[in-house]
Amino acid sequence: MSVRIDAIIVGLGAAGGLIATELARGGQKVVAIEKGAFYRQSDFLGKFDEIRYYCRSAIVPHMKSDPITWRPNEKTKAEVLPWASNTLGLGNPFQIPPSMGTGGGTLNWGGAAFRFREADFRMKSTIAERFSESALPEYTTLEDWPIDYRQMEPYFDRVEWELGVAGKAGNVNNTTVEGGNPFEASRSRDYPMPPIQRGAVDDLFCDTAKRMGYHPFPTPTAIATTDYKGRKACTNCGFCHGFPCHIGSKLSTHDLIKAAVEETGNLEIRPFSRVFRINKRADGRVKGVSYYDADSRIVDLEAEVVILACYALENARLLLNSGINGNGHVGKHLILHNYGWFNGVLPEITNSFMGSLQGGSIIDDYTSELIPDNEEGVLWGSPINTWTGDFQPIETIHGLPPHVPKWGKSFKDWMGQNFRRLFRMYSQHSTLPSNCYYVDLDPVVKDPFGQPALRITHEWTDYDAKAVEYFMRIKRKIAKEMGMLEWWEDSPTPNYHVTVHDVGTHRMGLDPNTSVTNPYGEVHECKGLYAVGGGQFVSQPSYNPTQMIFALAYLTSDHLLERV
Amino acid sequence: MSNMFFNEEEMGLVQAICSRLIPSEPDSPGAMEAQAYTYIDHALAGYFSHLQNYYRQRLHDFNRLANRYYGADYVRLAAEQQDELLHSIERMQVGEDSDDMRVFFEVIHEHTIEGTFGDPKYGGNRDFVGWRMIGFPGAQWGYTGEQMQLGYDSGQIEILSVTDLLKRHKEAEKEVSRS
Repeated sequence: MSVRIDAIIVGLGAAGGLIATELARGGQKVVAIEKGAFYRQSDFLGKFDEIRYYCRSAIVPHMKSDPITWRPNEKTKAEVLPWASNTLGLGNPFQIPPSMGTGGGTLNWGGAAFRFREADFRMKSTIAERFSESALPEYTTLEDWPIDYRQMEPYFDRVEWELGVAGKAGNVNNTTVEGGNPFEASRSRDYPMPPIQRGAVDDLFCDTAKRMGYHPFPTPTAIATTDYKGRKACTNCGFCHGFPCHIGSKLSTHDLIKAAVEETGNLEIRPFSRVFRINKRADGRVKGVSYYDADSRIVDLEAEVVILACYALENARLLLNSGINGNGHVGKHLILHNYGWFNGVLPEITNSFMGSLQGGSIIDDYTSELIPDNEEGVLWGSPINTWTGDFQPIETIHGLPPHVPKWGKSFKDWMGQNFRRLFRMYSQHSTLPSNCYYVDLDPVVKDPFGQPALRITHEWTDYDAKAVEYFMRIKRKIAKEMGMLEWWEDSPTPNYHVTVHDVGTHRMGLDPNTSVTNPYGEVHECKGLYAVGGGQFVSQPSYNPTQMIFALAYLTSDHLLERV
Repeated sequence: MSNMFFNEEEMGLVQAICSRLIPSEPDSPGAMEAQAYTYIDHALAGYFSHLQNYYRQRLHDFNRLANRYYGADYVRLAAEQQDELLHSIERMQVGEDSDDMRVFFEVIHEHTIEGTFGDPKYGGNRDFVGWRMIGFPGAQWGYTGEQMQLGYDSGQIEILSVTDLLKRHKEAEKEVSRS
């Protein structure tokens, strides 16, 4: 290739898609290498299809082509994700890494878009100050972030206004705003679009929560609620989480990338191509990557800068497979979310198949540092999130309450009576990073190209279960107050260990001895190589990670364009 | 024969199992009327082609169990006996092949659900039997704020398949470009 390439980007999801767009618009020549397809918007016009996108997992990785293994501890032999790898078609298609192809995980995400709280950047010192230095379990490698809310506020603002987030501010320039989140950190302005259409159950939830002394506010979503910057307003179709958007309302970097390719001429996308190695120069600086192209031929590509922007798990695999792990921290400090799913049935028809799952409200009264004093030893709180729409029949049947038979007349009657009355609450409990739970290369299992599969070593701890149970009690109280007819709960130690919010595998830090990247995502031991996305997280807030991934991607692209 | 994969005997057995998993009642059709069996037949000829031998063999074993415990082919048993056999397989209380059969029960159960509640283009959910059963309007371009109110009767909404919806969308698109 005779044209000079400024940057190679590996993976076009939340981080990679945004950085590719920003660099191309900033005048850099960018080649993006993507495992999946380069989609067209018309590919998704008929996306209202549970068989295709849920049962048969049309746009997410499959364990045959992209194997990942798991073991609960080092004494056990790892096997290909047992909850996801069933060749008989019985797998759980939700607990695997996010979708592939242009847009990556932003094709099938639910669109929840939260800023971190101020304390989320200082989880370790906040816990130490609030409780004691010894309050944290001994095994945890938790650290504070090397950046803070004040530095990131302009980037959160940019995500909300440039990319488009709908919501209601609760604290603008330290002034409380009615109807928003009274507990949020001060923001410089409101959201550019009003909250998404309320699900039918939302009034009931809010009235109940307020009566109980809580402060509900609308879940912020990266879903357009008015026509915004070329994106159409959401139609509330109810095929959202797990499905691509048919009209581009839900923010996907796919749309950004497509526009950048057409408008700048600076971005080339190579779909169906799999990077397997990062190459270094003799002086230690990054040289480029090697990848299998669409015809499985090995291609070596060189550039000044290489940006790994795959999922946190895959980024770790690429670093490890390239021998870039001088200080041993790659793959360590893995952090997951434990959701504490709480499903129930209401007496009223809620038409729970209509609209976004995020058409409800959330309470932050006990989130993060707002956790009440407690005897259980729970150190960090979580919101109570709601899930008001977006229920499809087959997924619902996979999660029936235990007392309902799976078949026969009773099954039929239950579904007939209750499919239109569903409501779900959940929370997002971050596991504590450690050296016990990590990812590395599987010594046995290989992908179809002969490259080692990633191996996850993870088990839920007593601490995780305690945190989930503490918040289950709150959910039960709310359910009772709402008049729910029945409810059923997920195990506090679920049988899956990929949560789509898996982060921390190449954490950022200022000290090259104890972290993998700097705050811009540049890998300490390899100049010119960047590893971006959730893998950079030092701790995980009790919110969805994607807005922070976008904010960090802006930080990286500003740095590469020498704006910071 | 219009089957893509099953022979007549296998199809009869699959239909009998589907009929018990989501039974038909007066005024309330089930998996049989939804033709969930057609979904399974088509899936085995396509997406699940790697399960062809698996299905064939397990159906054979299934019928052998019926003969062993009740002395007749499954299709000839009374509904109560058919249910009883399914229950005992589901609970793993039968014979030495129980584990295999229990897994097969899960597989055919899953496929019956998919064939009843999935989009009709895959061969099942005929006349939207599955979606009518639970009040689901299927593939809708969107819902309005008026519809998203507590207690709204979704029965007022015309049920659409993905194919129906795309046809309408094309017409709408044409209209937009004409205007």
